[in-house]
Amino acid sequence: MTRLIPSEDELHAYVDERLEPVRRAQVQAWLEANPQAAARVEGWRADARRLRAALAGFDDLPGAAQLELGPLRRQLRQRRQRRWAAAAVVMLALGVGGLGGWQVRDASLARVDLPMADAVQAHRLFAGSEALDIQASDPGQLRDWLGRHFSRVGQLPDLAGYGFKPVGARLLSNEQGPAALLVFEDGKGQRISLFLRSPGEQYRRMPDGQRVDGQLEARYWSHGAYNFALVSAADDVRGAGVGEALRLGL
Amino acid sequence: MHDLDDHQWRELLARLRRFAVWLTREPGSADDLVQATVERALSRRDQQRDADALRAWLFTILYRQFLDGKRRERLHARWLSWFGGSGHDEEPVGDNLEAIVLAQADLQAFARLTAEQRALLLLVSIEGLSYKEAAQALGIPIGTVMSRLSRARNALRELTEGNPQPPALRRLK
Repeated sequence: MTRLIPSEDELHAYVDERLEPVRRAQVQAWLEANPQAAARVEGWRADARRLRAALAGFDDLPGAAQLELGPLRRQLRQRRQRRWAAAAVVMLALGVGGLGGWQVRDASLARVDLPMADAVQAHRLFAGSEALDIQASDPGQLRDWLGRHFSRVGQLPDLAGYGFKPVGARLLSNEQGPAALLVFEDGKGQRISLFLRSPGEQYRRMPDGQRVDGQLEARYWSHGAYNFALVSAADDVRGAGVGEALRLGL
Repeated sequence: MHDLDDHQWRELLARLRRFAVWLTREPGSADDLVQATVERALSRRDQQRDADALRAWLFTILYRQFLDGKRRERLHARWLSWFGGSGHDEEPVGDNLEAIVLAQADLQAFARLTAEQRALLLLVSIEGLSYKEAAQALGIPIGTVMSRLSRARNALRELTEGNPQPPALRRLK
């Protein structure tokens, strides 16, 4: 039964969700019977949670010299070409074995694509920052901006009823084409964002849905010429209402 | 190296930068550190890594570079003090960072931990690396990871509890 008393290491592994399910349940039961240890563990956990929340917006640190991706990618490409050239020589020399290499390459290229993952990513990178193309506190201004860039979009509803005011917007682009991120904020500084882009090859039109990604929740739908996603904090209960309002308006 | 797309790269760089900022506590040197890390990574792409392994590997390089920099700095400070200059005996918190830290009370305690403790908590609690990956990134045995984690968490607890929020005004009867 000594195995039931968790070691210090196991308590940390419990906080970090690194225990096997069975052991996890045992530790949890033990903690319930040992309030002092439970308070200690809860303290660690609360610290980690606060730290995560405080460091969540890692793009808005002052003096952020924009790390240039272009040169980096160019370098990468050159090196890759050199490597493939080298690989080709090896293949010629050996005659066989190339197939295996290609299979490995395909496997490494196959990524798991979650619906509107780019929306969540855009929210993480830009929603907390001031690096927006336009700053707009007036819903009308944002509506005009959206209409100018995305001609086939409907009326952007006013979200003031949910306590959200526009902050601004940013044009983005990815392999699917142009996209836009519209950022809104409530009185307490909580931010949500609306992301839209043309349907991509993978998701021509999506069924409505929602998913939780870390501390964020994405609600997504297709309408007209675009795919939309509303990204909010996972514990924000207004998400459903705001999503519905946007869905009806756009 | 893995074929990451633009978004993935940007996010990875942002993560590296966050790690570097909190390691050095100085956004300026953090940028240099990230730059140096990426350069080194590019010159050592000897094997394919999946996205997770790539991330852990980049953190490893960054941390090594940070330690090398610290070693050079210490040497420099020793020379300075030998020649009558004044070596810094305490690492100052950078001006820029100070502003952020003051703005967020939760970070004040964190900023006061040692660099080793900050690095470990960042990797485990923020980046979600496994204990094994963190051990590799920091170049220490897994047993040391666990004891350092324990010390870091208890120190953070103490600092947090030792600096409670200013008490709310109480009405006197």
